Amino acid sequence: MSIDNEFAWRSELRKLGGAAEPQRDLWPQIAARIAVRPATQRWRMGLGLAATLIMACGIATIGWRTQSGSMQPVAATAPAHDAAGLAADSAPLAWAVPASPVLAAASRDLDSASVQLQQALETHPQAVFLVGLLNRTNAQRMRLLRQAPNA
Amino acid sequence: MDGLALTSDLPLVESSARDADVALVRRAVGGEAAAFEQLYRRHAGRVHGTILRLVGMDRARAEELTQDAFVQAWRKLGSFRHESAFATWLHRLGVNIALMDLRIRRDEQAMDDDDLQAAAGGEVSFCAAERGDLERAVAALPTRARAVLVLHDVEGFKHEEISAELGMAVGSSKAQLHRARGLLRRALGGEK
Repeated sequence: MSIDNEFAWRSELRKLGGAAEPQRDLWPQIAARIAVRPATQRWRMGLGLAATLIMACGIATIGWRTQSGSMQPVAATAPAHDAAGLAADSAPLAWAVPASPVLAAASRDLDSASVQLQQALETHPQAVFLVGLLNRTNAQRMRLLRQAPNA
Repeated sequence: MDGLALTSDLPLVESSARDADVALVRRAVGGEAAAFEQLYRRHAGRVHGTILRLVGMDRARAEELTQDAFVQAWRKLGSFRHESAFATWLHRLGVNIALMDLRIRRDEQAMDDDDLQAAAGGEVSFCAAERGDLERAVAALPTRARAVLVLHDVEGFKHEEISAELGMAVGSSKAQLHRARGLLRRALGGEK
């Protein structure tokens, strides 16, 4: 075999490749260094938690205000008929239910919130802020539907 | 079981290993360190082997960089999209870590041919060279020449990939490979 033979050269050098185990177990040091959860996962968990809390707080607030009957219009200067007019545009929609159990559960929560908002608007048609909440709920429902196109 | 049957089973074995990696990666992304440990056990040898050759058989440095590679892999697992095999992704990550270290250290040193011959064990013919001789001769090459030779001739990278990894022109990669092979020939006694 000559060194000028390209095939033989490549063959000999390729033999240098392959696995070479470390002389000691590196895992204990690696495990110590990765003891903190990856940043991307922390970020995702934080975002998910924040979204859940915002939704839960919104629904709880609406429920409390509806039951206590203490709702006051936020936009005090808004004409009384504005909310009613806007509410007419926000009549309950017949949303499809996603096939995914997780998305289906979320869609049920959003639909329930939407129904409560509709009822609250019927009782307090002058409450403009309820229309905003209803629109946000419907927008979330639309986004959820887009994520589950097979619904 | 005959040889043919063994050969035909190989793709299945590879596919099975890849499926196992996919499952382990998914568990590790969920924060399960035990799954990541299994990935380490499965791939540490290949990653460490490549890094070891790139850093010139410096075992302590290779082990340190292998640790770095796996820590980086853990941090980047969330961005791994399974577009390539996990083993390929991890191997490339290990190469990047080693090359980054080489760039930082900037330990390119002009070695004269006597040093190279001494490292290779003197005047031995290429045919008679043992694996150890070849390893030592490769390890004694100047840093960039060694990196190009290991990536091209040992790991199978293309010049375009090497030039991108090392931040050099394709022509420079080819020139470094030519230089590395020439130095190896002299070190191993193939050229007088």
